[in-house]
Amino acid sequence: MLVVATRYVERVLRYPFGRADVRHVFSSIGGTTAVGLVLFLGFVFVAIFAPVLAPYNPDAFSGKPLEHPSNAHLLGTNDVGQDIFSELVFGTQISLIIGVGAGLGAVFLAVVIGGAAGYIGGWLDFVLMRLGDMLLALPRLPMLILVNALIGAGVWQMVITIALLFWPTTARIIRSEVQRVRQRTYLQLAHHFGSNRLYVLRRHVLPHITPLIVFGLVTSAGRAVALEAGLAFLGLGDPAAKSWGLMMRYALNLPGLLLTDRWLWWLLPPGVCITLLILSLTLVGIGLESRLMPGLRRQ
Amino acid sequence: MKQRLILYLMTLWAVLTLNFLLPRMLPGDPLQALLDPQSSTYVFDPATRAALEADYGLDRSLLEQYAGYLVGVFTADLGHSIRLNQPVIDLIRSHLPWTLLLTGSALALASLVGIVIGTEAAWRHRSMWDTSLVTVSVILSNAPVFFTGMVFLIVFGVWLGWLPLSGGRTPFADYSSLLAEMRDYGSHLLLPLVTLTLSLLGGKFLLVRNSMLGVLQEDFMLVARAKGLPAGQLKRRHGLRNAILPFVHHLASHAGFAITGALFIETLFAYPGIGQLIFDSVVVRDYPVIQGVFLVVSLMVLSANLLADWLSYQLDPRLREA
Repeated sequence: MLVVATRYVERVLRYPFGRADVRHVFSSIGGTTAVGLVLFLGFVFVAIFAPVLAPYNPDAFSGKPLEHPSNAHLLGTNDVGQDIFSELVFGTQISLIIGVGAGLGAVFLAVVIGGAAGYIGGWLDFVLMRLGDMLLALPRLPMLILVNALIGAGVWQMVITIALLFWPTTARIIRSEVQRVRQRTYLQLAHHFGSNRLYVLRRHVLPHITPLIVFGLVTSAGRAVALEAGLAFLGLGDPAAKSWGLMMRYALNLPGLLLTDRWLWWLLPPGVCITLLILSLTLVGIGLESRLMPGLRRQ
Repeated sequence: MKQRLILYLMTLWAVLTLNFLLPRMLPGDPLQALLDPQSSTYVFDPATRAALEADYGLDRSLLEQYAGYLVGVFTADLGHSIRLNQPVIDLIRSHLPWTLLLTGSALALASLVGIVIGTEAAWRHRSMWDTSLVTVSVILSNAPVFFTGMVFLIVFGVWLGWLPLSGGRTPFADYSSLLAEMRDYGSHLLLPLVTLTLSLLGGKFLLVRNSMLGVLQEDFMLVARAKGLPAGQLKRRHGLRNAILPFVHHLASHAGFAITGALFIETLFAYPGIGQLIFDSVVVRDYPVIQGVFLVVSLMVLSANLLADWLSYQLDPRLREA
């Protein structure tokens, strides 16, 4: 009994993320992940085929202002006569570009910074991790509001700023995993056999952190989508990129909107879309987390 | 603890420096635009213009400006609002109490409810209650707070008409008694409070539940159970006492999250706090106010972080020994 328990503790200490293997992770996708993945791929599909799916150009004045839903305009028209359904469909593109773009950027930074900190260690590790701690302690929304108000927010500026703010969480996880892997005897053996550093990194270290990269990507993307929606809602998004948040903001600008039932087809759909997109990413994240971290498995 | 303190001081310095450098590094200096007669945002009032120029000391070297700026910050001089021609610090002083009231009560309420239902859900693990609570809280914590707020506004403010739609109090109200005054403040606070509490609740509930689940599987719980301790004592003294530590540790990030949420909610409900102030300033690009609010909110989040660190240090003897 005691021996088994000790072994178990030893194993958890040594492999808190499980014996991470990409194929294993993806072959055993759980129900939560599957639901999230289907939802997310649905949004990707809509974003790619937006020009086909949307009946109108979202910027064209395709009807009279403030029309009620009809066959011609599924969700009616907004205050200047643009088709709301088409706006909604094209809005998917902006949310996805920002979510995935900022997620990729943040994870790229996290891999480089976390990897360097964990693999090289020493003062570099200290400096990089303190920098990360500082970024984590900064309030993000006011920071983004300030930056966006000053530089004027384009989609790409937003992707870059969000990525610059989001890397530390993932970098921390990657750093500790790299540190753990670095200790392994087979890695030291590989060094002694004369394999160069890049080879060791690619062949022996990367497979261990790949699942963490996927996890980091999913969680940062979800938070980036939420942040973009919020900024657009506050009127700090790219005014040219009509995202879901901006749609809600325009809708709320109409005096007395909430007193009519117009909000049903103008406010509710973008709100539901934002929620579903973030939810899909969270579900994938929860699924991955419980696969990757059996020690913390949500039972 | 000392290390954390140094970290927060460093962060504070970074915030101060960023706040100073950002407007100066970026192209299209907003202040220049205010002083340039060609610009559309030119400030016509010569007194305001003189105050602005003196405030920002645009003729001095960068280092001198930086020193002046630091002195200004530490003497609570944050410049003048362009929109309202008032000192920024006065604006913040009049808006901050509303935000503190909203965030403070929401944080307290969400923590309390989160701890109670989190403990119960873990105790009744995999029951119908547990499953539905988890589902609801995952959805709630993923919906943007301005969206849930909007739904509440429509349901309780418009459809049912129970609660006022916006503001922090009834304008020009003449209260007959203290009770009536408190009721008025309360009814205005209720919707924003419920919205913010619900958006915070999901994360707190899940955190308490999951850490409680971990604790319940520990060997000492088995021993406690074998001793025949009553369920209440098992839950609270043995389970919760240990499960609460990660919760306290995460309170800091929750505080930042709560303040962010409050900014949105105040915008939506026209609640007269900091969020309202920053929103109105963003619309007209009132930079001194935006910067001042950024500073104050950063300061609030950093102190919340420090407080949470200190609390978990007090609660967990293991941290003190390490």
